[in-house]
Amino acid sequence: MHAAQSVRLHVAFSPQRLGHGTTVEITTEILAPPGLVPSPLTGLDIRYPSELGVAVGGLGLSTCSQPTLERLGPEGCPASSRMGQGSALAEIAVGPDILAEEADVVILRAPEQEGHLALLFYLDGGEPVRAEIIFPGLLLSGPGPTEESIDINVPLVPSLPGSPFVAVVRLHATLGPRGLIYYERRHGKFVPYRPAGVLLPNKCPHGGFRFAATFAFLDGSSSGAQAVVPCRSQPRSKRRR
Amino acid sequence: MLIGASSAPISANTWASGRGPGAHAARILSGTATAHLHLVKVDGSRLIEVGPVSGALVGSARAELKTGAVLKGSFTITTPRGSITGHGQANPHGSGRYQSFSGWFLVSSGTGRYAHISGRAGLYGVFDVRTDALVIQTTGKFSY
Repeated sequence: MHAAQSVRLHVAFSPQRLGHGTTVEITTEILAPPGLVPSPLTGLDIRYPSELGVAVGGLGLSTCSQPTLERLGPEGCPASSRMGQGSALAEIAVGPDILAEEADVVILRAPEQEGHLALLFYLDGGEPVRAEIIFPGLLLSGPGPTEESIDINVPLVPSLPGSPFVAVVRLHATLGPRGLIYYERRHGKFVPYRPAGVLLPNKCPHGGFRFAATFAFLDGSSSGAQAVVPCRSQPRSKRRR
Repeated sequence: MLIGASSAPISANTWASGRGPGAHAARILSGTATAHLHLVKVDGSRLIEVGPVSGALVGSARAELKTGAVLKGSFTITTPRGSITGHGQANPHGSGRYQSFSGWFLVSSGTGRYAHISGRAGLYGVFDVRTDALVIQTTGKFSY
């Protein structure tokens, strides 16, 4: 049985150095009362400050198509199509019991869709439900003038026979260079390098970097959460006297 | 891709009638101008790029761009005869290291010979994601 759910959002930059590339860490949690499983997630919209240089910084230089990803998995995609990774935790109600399952997450750049920059999310789960799930995300302008968003349609995942759909309860994902290696051709050889990542602006906006997320569920409900990455004092360069 | 430039004056009588001795004969500037820009400053999603312009206009260009789901920017083209300022917006296309984009460019003001310039044109280009270098073309017709 599903229950009314509440949501949380947490965002961090690693490292947090203004004017430099970073990896954005996003953690979303979906909470239900004890003993109950939240309604399955069907949509997630993450809004981020438009000052963040997501489209620059060298992430996602290649793309991976959904057919390639379905056939070969992330290993069949160009290294430079990877933009991030993470993990997901899902719950499955089986009779009176609630089973938990972890899945690895890979985020890849996809060919543009409907005229928008696109991502593919690849989830690979093991036990008790063996599943590989792929779903798209689109980079969109707005809704506000200083925001951009990643709009994700989450497919319903069948679980065990006679049981409800799988319900994601936690998603931790990074968007940035941590754990990524790209390759470029230099002097006839392929040389590994790490992309710069999401570029932070030179100045921290007043009040910090504000993020928001809207979650849509199978039961027709939706919930929102917000997070702020606070401004941090940057180390001053030493002056010579 | 360059179409070539032409500059043809409209009949001075048709334009200047009824507007007094200060009126000027309107001209048309049509064709394609191409700018090869390189990055001089980056600030998160904002890029400032400069470089030479050739084609229908010859001089230098400076662009302040906001990258993201949509590319938005303001541009100033400086020529020996005056400058042209405008803003535009374009949607990125394709994938890989070189991303193309297409959209529009609207002239907002000018100086010198182009003090009265106005018009809207197409905006096209290619962005090198690896080096942040930019080739921009604007093609259309402006009156000035």
